[in-house]
Amino acid sequence: MKIFVVIPLYNEQRHVVKVLKEIQKYKLPVVVVDDGSVDGSVEKVKSLKQNNLTLLEHKVNLGKGAALKTGADYAFGHIADAVIFMDADGQHEPNDLNKFIEVLETHKYDAVLGSRNFGYGVPLVRFIGNKIASVLIGFLFGLYVSDIICGFRALTKKAYEKIKWESSGYGVETEMIIRLGKSKLRYHEIPVETLYHDNVKGVTILDALGIFAQVIQWKLTIK
Amino acid sequence: MIIGLQIIAILFAFSMIYFAVLHYKRRELNGLEISSWLIMWSAAIIIIIFPELLRSFAETFLVARVFDLMVIGGFILVISMVGSAYIRTKSLERKLEELIRHEALTKAKKNK
Repeated sequence: MKIFVVIPLYNEQRHVVKVLKEIQKYKLPVVVVDDGSVDGSVEKVKSLKQNNLTLLEHKVNLGKGAALKTGADYAFGHIADAVIFMDADGQHEPNDLNKFIEVLETHKYDAVLGSRNFGYGVPLVRFIGNKIASVLIGFLFGLYVSDIICGFRALTKKAYEKIKWESSGYGVETEMIIRLGKSKLRYHEIPVETLYHDNVKGVTILDALGIFAQVIQWKLTIK
Repeated sequence: MIIGLQIIAILFAFSMIYFAVLHYKRRELNGLEISSWLIMWSAAIIIIIFPELLRSFAETFLVARVFDLMVIGGFILVISMVGSAYIRTKSLERKLEELIRHEALTKAKKNK
């Protein structure tokens, strides 16, 4: 099975090089999608000499959802059978890639979802927020996923074609889960470690409210 | 007699005519668009100066005061314009996203 790693990148010059160097040992093709960074992240990526690394550049910031879609389109257009999405901020532990690869290759799931748990470094407030989101999605859409917004996840080509999302921003992870449930694809959750480096980045309470409004919209529109 | 509120409304209408002409001269509006805006704001000025022109219209719709009718009309106009602007913005966002993503995919760079 040909597996690509897709990394959306936006202003992460402090962490991106370390992340890319750490995943180099897995010899997987890596697609970095820069989403209009203005802090020199692109130059940092370009300075790396890695044969299996491809850089795609959004000239303006479109949002995480659009960056993931661009990366997945590129990977599946270049013989990938599956992609693993991973954040560029060093939040995800590269050693967890092994778990995704094993589940994809041996158990033949359509999607593998990383799940951050309280004991794995998730702050209490975020943990509670995640659980509320999980219960809400479970109530509205009839499926329970323990960590709705974890960005560390994998999709096969079949799954990507069925759940291709429309969200361009932070709502993408939630929309993926909802479409996954609607399309009756087989998915599996695995525990992943989390390292929070920066408290001002990631999903804020305002983003969460925006996602909640989108969830209502998806309830009415996704069949 | 023209009251203060009418003067403010007339000044606003004239300033909107000025901006419409300005955008026309910058070629941001075409002939049909500038004509439509000029007709609309001219009609607004006439109604502001002679609100009694709408009296029979207001009575037809059982609206007690002409001022109320103008406020209702204004709300309808603003809501429809906001709705139209929202749809156009969404459409533009989608086109922009497609363009930027397409460019990124066609100009993929492999690190060597």
